[in-house]
Amino acid sequence: MRNTMKVAKWEIKRNMKNKTFLIGLFLTPLLIIGFFVIGSLFDDSSDKEQTVELYVNDEIGLLPAVEETISMAGFDWEVEETDLSQDAVRSELEETENTAYLFLTAQGLNEGIFPVYMSEEMPPYFLEQLQILETPIKSVQLAEQGLTAEEMAIVSAPILFEQQAAEDEAKSEESRLERVVPGAFAGFIMLSIVFTGMAIFQSASQEKKDKIAEILLSSLTPADLMQGKIIGYFVLGIIQTVISLVIILPVAIWRFELQDAAKYLLAPELLFYILIACMGYLLFSAIFVGIGATMSDMTTAGNFQGFVMMLPFLPFLFIGPVVNDPSGLWAQVGTYIPFTTPGVLLLRLTILEEWPWIEIAIGLAILAVSIWIFMKLAGKIFKVGILMYGKNATPGEIWKWIRA
Amino acid sequence: MDVMLTVEGLEKSFKDKKVLKNISFEVRKGEIMAILGPNGAGKSTTIRNIMGIMYPDKGTITFHHYNGKGIPRNKIGFLPEERGLYKNVNVMDILLYLADLKDYPLDKARERALMYLKKFDLEGKDKVSIEELSKGMGQKVQFIASILHEPEFLILDEPFSGLDPVSQEMFKEEIRNLANNGTAILLSSHQMNLVEEMCDRLFMMQQGQKVIYGSLDEVKRKYANFKCTIHGKNDAARLERIDQVRRIEQQGDASVLYLEKDVEPLSWIKQLPDDLVIEELKLNRISLHEIFIDIATNKNLMKEGELNA
Repeated sequence: MRNTMKVAKWEIKRNMKNKTFLIGLFLTPLLIIGFFVIGSLFDDSSDKEQTVELYVNDEIGLLPAVEETISMAGFDWEVEETDLSQDAVRSELEETENTAYLFLTAQGLNEGIFPVYMSEEMPPYFLEQLQILETPIKSVQLAEQGLTAEEMAIVSAPILFEQQAAEDEAKSEESRLERVVPGAFAGFIMLSIVFTGMAIFQSASQEKKDKIAEILLSSLTPADLMQGKIIGYFVLGIIQTVISLVIILPVAIWRFELQDAAKYLLAPELLFYILIACMGYLLFSAIFVGIGATMSDMTTAGNFQGFVMMLPFLPFLFIGPVVNDPSGLWAQVGTYIPFTTPGVLLLRLTILEEWPWIEIAIGLAILAVSIWIFMKLAGKIFKVGILMYGKNATPGEIWKWIRA
Repeated sequence: MDVMLTVEGLEKSFKDKKVLKNISFEVRKGEIMAILGPNGAGKSTTIRNIMGIMYPDKGTITFHHYNGKGIPRNKIGFLPEERGLYKNVNVMDILLYLADLKDYPLDKARERALMYLKKFDLEGKDKVSIEELSKGMGQKVQFIASILHEPEFLILDEPFSGLDPVSQEMFKEEIRNLANNGTAILLSSHQMNLVEEMCDRLFMMQQGQKVIYGSLDEVKRKYANFKCTIHGKNDAARLERIDQVRRIEQQGDASVLYLEKDVEPLSWIKQLPDDLVIEELKLNRISLHEIFIDIATNKNLMKEGELNA
């Protein structure tokens, strides 16, 4: 164990002194932020296109109430008064976009129908949004009929059929955040450590290429060396996660207005989620370290090795089906395949209100057994592979080492 | 002398091919013991079995003065044949890491590292990245790494390969020093001239088998018969009639006469015929190199049976 920790310490030190690793350490979060910013740039530009100019020809003195209602609704509309007649409007609209003319006429007040003229290009749902003006107009109608303010309030109030939820809406929104925030956080940790862990692969094959393996193995056992790498890269993954969070979190909070989300982070579920994330790392690190030892050079990776490198991406295939139906067949299948268990479980637990404990237990048991099996296999492959110079091992050879 | 390591009846097969057959020898404190043999003889495989990097099919490897289980890794220094260092780390970091793996105190390791860097003309290179060093410099760093922790037992697999003559001398001198200070040294090589100059005992092997085992003097006495090199135009048939000549090799005007084992040099010279053309005459023992070449090419300089004596 002491030698394991020495190897782990060395791997950390070696990488933290390596320029390539340091650049990657800071570049990764910056790239993620880059995507945020580019995304928000596109969002802003599309918003601007949607601004509507609404000209109102007001015969009944309702303009102030209209402006107030629209600004309260938060629509991106610019309201202006106009004297244009209905006949002149048609020619005026020909050359414009996102422009509408509303005629608040006395006749309309009596009949309940107001003419609207719109340019060809209009944001969707404009007419539905315009319906919000019903309330101020209705009050004018009712006032004209001589109703008192109280009578007006009763008559103009809409009739609603309200579902009575077991918990109120604010609370359910809160509990959703309570689940999503720790889940997303653990998911981020898992991706971060698994992707950093992919460097184990390179570390093992580089040791063969640099021919230092035999020198190291004169001082420690292959198991020490392998475990040291797994622990070392786990710590490096955590360092990557922490640095990413420190850089990304402020931007994410600003971008997605998550000021309140931080308090949901320290939920008890987080520990469970992180346990799942760590189990995911252990599984993939065992695979990477074993496969890395079969290769003499990164650039000559064969199909087999390339395929193995794709395994951590497998859970992404399940995102769509699992989000659609977090208790469905796909979700269950994904829970029971060890390579997808951590990713799919994290996603499901984040979405589901009622946790399927039996499925969780079976999924985690499969994962734990798989970790044990893959660690054993990696140990066998590593022991022989790390000393094989000059060529990549074929799947046939690897199979032979495993059986030995 | 104090025996440090005993190898007994070592056997190893790869697939169906037996690469080590009944290998037995011992290494003693303060001596340089050489394992010699052509490429593919099984030298590195023997060493890897001693180091626990491979496991023998049969036979025992005993480290004396060690009560623990397995191999006393911290007391052994090892320079493998296939060797290298991490490329993108600096010299001192890698030396300290390797010393740390041997549980050697770091401050002492740093001190010794600086001393050895200076000794091997690498002063001031401790902060330099390995990839900036020349191949020879890299080999010196590897050598320093293998002796930094003051090992009681040092295994050097082809330590001289790829070194220039100046560095070879440096290595030789240091290896000799270590042996004089009590380190038991097992050295494998196919560079006979170097080994002949420095080893105390030797184990020569071919195709996984022992061919010769003994002290250098013993081996020379036993196996290295005299040969007489004569420069001058002489007829081979004439030379063959000379007493106690076993075999003749002629190249141009030079003839090499391989003599029988129990030749008395002085009396043999006295009985040379008067009509021989001698421009130059040299009488010396067959070198280790010649014994080695002979074994490697399966020629028989000496009569069969003698080799296996």
